[in-house]
Amino acid sequence: MKRWFLLAALAAATTASAHHGWSEYDTDKPLQLNGTIQEAGYVQPHGWIRLKSAGKTWLVVLAPPGRMESRGLPKDKLAVGAGASVVGYPHRTRPGEMRAERITIGSKTTELR
Amino acid sequence: MPPGAGVDIPAGAAAWTVWLAATPPAAAMRAGAWLYPGIEILHIIGFTVLVGAVAMFDLRVLGLGRELPPRALARYLLPWSVGGMLVVLPSGLLLFAAGAPELATNRVFLLKLVLIVAAVLNALAFHIGPWRVGEPWPESAPLRARLHAALSLLLWLAVIACGRLLAYV
Repeated sequence: MKRWFLLAALAAATTASAHHGWSEYDTDKPLQLNGTIQEAGYVQPHGWIRLKSAGKTWLVVLAPPGRMESRGLPKDKLAVGAGASVVGYPHRTRPGEMRAERITIGSKTTELR
Repeated sequence: MPPGAGVDIPAGAAAWTVWLAATPPAAAMRAGAWLYPGIEILHIIGFTVLVGAVAMFDLRVLGLGRELPPRALARYLLPWSVGGMLVVLPSGLLLFAAGAPELATNRVFLLKLVLIVAAVLNALAFHIGPWRVGEPWPESAPLRARLHAALSLLLWLAVIACGRLLAYV
């Protein structure tokens, strides 16, 4: 039994889940940005875009791909060069990062929460 | 599309984390709709078995369930903890790889790794220490054995707490 436990001990795990909750974003400071998509990730655990707005590039954290897909925001909508408008909240400590409550591309608004 | 496409690389990310996130398994984790949550589910099942088995044994050392012989209980439970570890380790590596550049700088994640190492060292110290006393295992575990068991419980619960709090920091 000692051997078993040694094996367990040696197999120290590195484990992680990178889901962002909302608590790290300041919901007292809602923010609307209109801009152009510079880069996009339609990825787990959350999609994201870099949005250039008024000369500044923001990292905008979106929703998991499955949720965006089912709400009518497929991958090809997050095209580089496309215009987008987001409403969300700035990160409390990381300047230039925000989490979007909703995103509007063309005439289509998608709720992300 | 390059294999690393889609990962968000924060300024100052370590080169090895960027490399890891660009490997095909990491890219696959980010790309699919169901792979990532599926691996998360496996990870959760793995650590419920791992920590559950460890906690039941710790509680026995602490004096609960005295009708159960500790040596036999260990022979039954500890292989489950190893099995749990064999699920947790690869699933955790995949989850880490998918978002390595960001996670490697996350203080809660680093704390979680430190706690896992501490829990493992604590288990080793128990097994090369008080667990090696002669047969039979005493009616009431020695103080040092009980301290190891209590620490084990605290550390593993803290590991779970850190894992969950990764989502909120």
